[in-house]
Amino acid sequence: MSVLEIIIALPLLAALAIWLGAPAHATSLGATLLNLLIVLVTTVQYAGKAATGLAFTYSRPILDNPSLSFAVGADGVSLILALLTTLVMLAAIWQIQDRPAIFYVSSLLIGGGALGAFLTTDVFFIYAFHELALIPTFLMIALHGRAEPAQRKAVAWKATIYLGAGSLVLLAGLAWVVLEFSGGSKLTFDLEALRNQAKLTPLADAKQAQIFFVLLLGFGSLVSLFPFHSWAAPAYATAPTPVAMLHSGVLKKFGLYGLIRIALPLLPQGPHVEWVQNALLLMLLGNILVMGLVTIHAHRLDDTLANSSVMHMGYIFLGIAAGSDIALKGAVVLMFAHGISIALLFGLCGRMRNQLGTLEYNKLGGLATHAPAFTVLFAFGAFASIGLPGLTNFAGEVMIFVGSFTDFKAGVMSNLQWTVILALWGVVMSAVYMLRAYRNIFHGSPTTGLFMIDPAFSQRVPFIMLATTLLVTGCCPWLLLNLMKSAL
Amino acid sequence: MPASIILLLPFFSALVILLGHRQLKGAAVLISVGSSIIAFLASLVFLATDDDNKLLLPFIDVAHFHAGIDVLIDKQSRGMMFIVSFIGMLVHIFSLGYMKDDEAKPRFFGALSLFMFSMTGIVLAGNLIMMFIFWELVGLSSYLLIGHWYQKASAAEACKKAFLTNRIGDFGFMIGILLLLGANAGNVNLLDLKTAFESGPLRPEAPGYSAGFTTVAALCIFLGAVGKSAQFPLHVWLPDAMEGPTPVSALIHAATMVAAGVYMLVRVSFLVAASPLAAEIIAGIGCITALMAALMATQQNDIKRVLAYSTLSQLGYMVMAVGAVAMAAKHGHGPEAPDPGHPAMFHLYTHAFFKAMLFLGSGAVIYACHHEQDIWKMGGLRKHMPVTFYTFAIGTAALMGFPWLTSGFYSKEAVLDAAFNSGWRVLFIGGAVTAALTAFYMTRLLIVAFMGKPRTDSAHHAQEAPMVMILPLTILAIFSIFSAWDGFANSLQALKPSHINAPGEGHTVLIASLIALIAGAGGAIFLYRGKDKDPVSIKLFANKFYFDEIYAVIVRVCQDRVAWIVTALERVFVDGIIARLPSAIVARLGAATRMLQGGHLQGYTFLLGGGVIAVIYLVVFVLPRMGN
Amino acid sequence: MITLGHYLVVSGMLFALGLAGVIARRNIIIVYMCLEMMLSAANLALVGFSRFHLVHGLPDYTAQSLVFFTITVAAAEVAVGLAIIVALFRSKQSVDVESVTKLQG
Repeated sequence: MSVLEIIIALPLLAALAIWLGAPAHATSLGATLLNLLIVLVTTVQYAGKAATGLAFTYSRPILDNPSLSFAVGADGVSLILALLTTLVMLAAIWQIQDRPAIFYVSSLLIGGGALGAFLTTDVFFIYAFHELALIPTFLMIALHGRAEPAQRKAVAWKATIYLGAGSLVLLAGLAWVVLEFSGGSKLTFDLEALRNQAKLTPLADAKQAQIFFVLLLGFGSLVSLFPFHSWAAPAYATAPTPVAMLHSGVLKKFGLYGLIRIALPLLPQGPHVEWVQNALLLMLLGNILVMGLVTIHAHRLDDTLANSSVMHMGYIFLGIAAGSDIALKGAVVLMFAHGISIALLFGLCGRMRNQLGTLEYNKLGGLATHAPAFTVLFAFGAFASIGLPGLTNFAGEVMIFVGSFTDFKAGVMSNLQWTVILALWGVVMSAVYMLRAYRNIFHGSPTTGLFMIDPAFSQRVPFIMLATTLLVTGCCPWLLLNLMKSAL
Repeated sequence: MPASIILLLPFFSALVILLGHRQLKGAAVLISVGSSIIAFLASLVFLATDDDNKLLLPFIDVAHFHAGIDVLIDKQSRGMMFIVSFIGMLVHIFSLGYMKDDEAKPRFFGALSLFMFSMTGIVLAGNLIMMFIFWELVGLSSYLLIGHWYQKASAAEACKKAFLTNRIGDFGFMIGILLLLGANAGNVNLLDLKTAFESGPLRPEAPGYSAGFTTVAALCIFLGAVGKSAQFPLHVWLPDAMEGPTPVSALIHAATMVAAGVYMLVRVSFLVAASPLAAEIIAGIGCITALMAALMATQQNDIKRVLAYSTLSQLGYMVMAVGAVAMAAKHGHGPEAPDPGHPAMFHLYTHAFFKAMLFLGSGAVIYACHHEQDIWKMGGLRKHMPVTFYTFAIGTAALMGFPWLTSGFYSKEAVLDAAFNSGWRVLFIGGAVTAALTAFYMTRLLIVAFMGKPRTDSAHHAQEAPMVMILPLTILAIFSIFSAWDGFANSLQALKPSHINAPGEGHTVLIASLIALIAGAGGAIFLYRGKDKDPVSIKLFANKFYFDEIYAVIVRVCQDRVAWIVTALERVFVDGIIARLPSAIVARLGAATRMLQGGHLQGYTFLLGGGVIAVIYLVVFVLPRMGN
Repeated sequence: MITLGHYLVVSGMLFALGLAGVIARRNIIIVYMCLEMMLSAANLALVGFSRFHLVHGLPDYTAQSLVFFTITVAAAEVAVGLAIIVALFRSKQSVDVESVTKLQG
């Protein structure tokens, strides 16, 4: 029995309990709070140890051939993501008000699935847990989305088909990986065994590139990598608030986690083969520049946030494309930072929609006067996603940029480095759309827009928690980096 | 120790005010003002500390990339620290009076503390990453303070504009940092970079040296300064920034933050010196800014805008001096012995005092005239507000460079000296013309606002400002006169160049600046004495060379229109090819196969018959042959 | 000399005529008659096979017994089928096959 199993099981059991009739709010809140504490303690324990390699491992064999077992284990990356998941889950569940129990159940399932995906070390279960988390996402968009039934069903279908297709490609890639790296006579799904085999008998670069590309397409469409992104914006804009928070904040990170955790260690040369790298750079520039412009064009807050979330994925992919230790750690920090900040923004956005009934910029204005606390919280999220130093996103972004310049020769710029410079322009663009949004919603005379007051303090707590996380890890990014002492 | 007090005290002050400004109410103000006073005292102690470069707080520490909050203490930072904390303290005190009736006082003082924290960070920064961090944070505090009266649409737009324009500068700054970081193996510590450029792998004799790279890196870093110090072509945000409360304009948009760009350039002067081309471009941009802003200032009617354009112009002076010094060193016109002083820093130092004073003085005027800012609606204030008038007059004299008496004279001479020695005569001529224009518009301002008769009721009923506002004005007025004296300048570590008006050069510079002063001031007296409305009207200057309009078009075309097109293309192509095309194909196939299942019994029978025939055909004719 | 081939050709033509009727005719009763014709074609084929497949010098009666069986079942089928047609006519007031397209769901 490992503590990680408790962490995975707790939300799922809570969901079961609510389904069986336990009081939804109290149960889910208690379970998530407890889970957050356990994750925190575990993280501190891990940091207290050497903070390298897998810890808290435990394995329950299920099948002998192919060798399949329910194996858990965590290193710094998984713990950071587990922390992200529990934080966002707590905030998402806390901010639910006057909703049927299915909101709580689905939040718990999404969070539990994500935790399972992040904390298991068996490729089969990593995949399966992610799929488990996707199902409630689709259902909630289709059943309780913020749009006309026909439209929300269409959006849910679009997301389902996209993510389903992405998952299929991913499955093919994973199967390929398992076949290539199993070694010996038995197939194995154990990530550690696969990694060891990959170290022992690395594939030829050309083959690594092919497999990596398949995995990139699979994982990438789960992360809304350009051009497989068009599900994301409508899905987030339509999804109920807790689902938008959890999916954009946590579940979307699964694809990136998979790339860092599965694809890169097994296929270290994959992203560096020229055609793959160029393709990846082009796609991530699509994310940053194209989606940046699309975001500038948005006229509604939910549109802006949803598109900006797609755009910011480009920076994380940039970290993966750079592939150096600094850049990869930066990518992990940015995953954490983006998860917290976008969950904060979507949470506040949902609250605004509940109170005001609309998110059109031309109907809003001057909210800062009567809702100052709300404004400050929103500012934390907005400025975090702009990449203001002192909030976590900056640390991640700067590490990615720096990591891309580690092998720089004066006077010779590689494609990667040109991409970084173009990506830096994206930082300007994100300031443009975020400040426009902020200006339109909060600045101006209070008479120019709809009226709204601050939520009660207890309802502010989840957002305060997220904002504080941004501030603390933003001023002290070494808190996160100390969890990743060994090279990724 | 004093360094960490000066740095962290305002941070905690800002944090406390952010967390509890509802509970604290008036106490928030006290916390902020108190922290600024303590920081000022600490900066006095700091003046006596030794040179040092030590790590204060960790930040990022991965592989060979170390970016911490590390403090570089040397003469530059000690002197700058004094300016920042001294003027910061005075502005805090002035704001006690100016913002007395403001509802959002705690927010104002919280942001002011945040600014003090970030500005201190820039001053103390020992590496470029830390510089960038606080660079952005001053941008944030400037955003918050310009947008203090965010209910006003103009203020809301102005703070957004300021932040975004600075972002463009920071884009270049970040690229520059990355280039240097890549070239110097992940190390952007200022001292290490200096060593690398002077004797390390980046020196011109080193293998693999690329002059183009050095120039590009220097220009990228300079772009950061262009944004923050509002140089042409990114100068448009500074005049609009006057939407903020006047004390803020004095502290941030005149004395300290906008000078951060100059300070940063002086910090990386080894980089500017390494690239002659970059030095020329920097000097040129500075000269253009100085001249252009002075021209615009001559036709402004808003008292704060006149001062804002004058700030722009003086910042242009400083930037020009940075470039000119580097150029002079290359041409061999520089002083033989390395001069510890720097004309740009020296001008920054004197300018900080008198410009802050002018802004605070204008604040006192605006306060007395019930927030009237149009100088043509003032007049005759000399009698009603004598202290303000005399301090304002001293500030004006200093800004014009009134010879021998005022501090501004010496620093301006230093700048013109540097321009004279740069090898580009045009820099010197531009500087002299700017000096004449400065004298012109400042005299105009003084005559129209303070002399003559009151033109409106609010000017008629104006009263002298309260003590908390007078006191900082007086102190700053004293500094405006004496700060260039050797005793002051040396104890405040002001980087005063040792060779101002060195006898060997003849008196070209001195004579030129005297002529400029007399011509400018005389022209203004001749034109504006006793006038009730502006006798001169030059649309081009009044409308700031139409920069705002041009930029508005650029933003609309290059950004919003492109965004619109890209969005449309994204919908049509990406969504079309990736999502709608497959779905259309699937739908078409589905429709085709549906036709087969129309529910017509006879159709089924026909298919059945066809199927049977096909099977028989296969079994009888095809399969036996394949068997063989 | 009449050979098995002749029987089979007649049977095949009979079957094809029946099938064509089933496919092409719209009157459900005619369709039904054509169906019967196809059954007769099968019967004819069976009888033909029985006649030409001698077992110990005698025709193969297994096939002929199958024919009797088929005729019996067909008689039962006629009863059921006509009943269905009558029921159909009652509900649709028509004996046109086109009126019965419920299968398309």
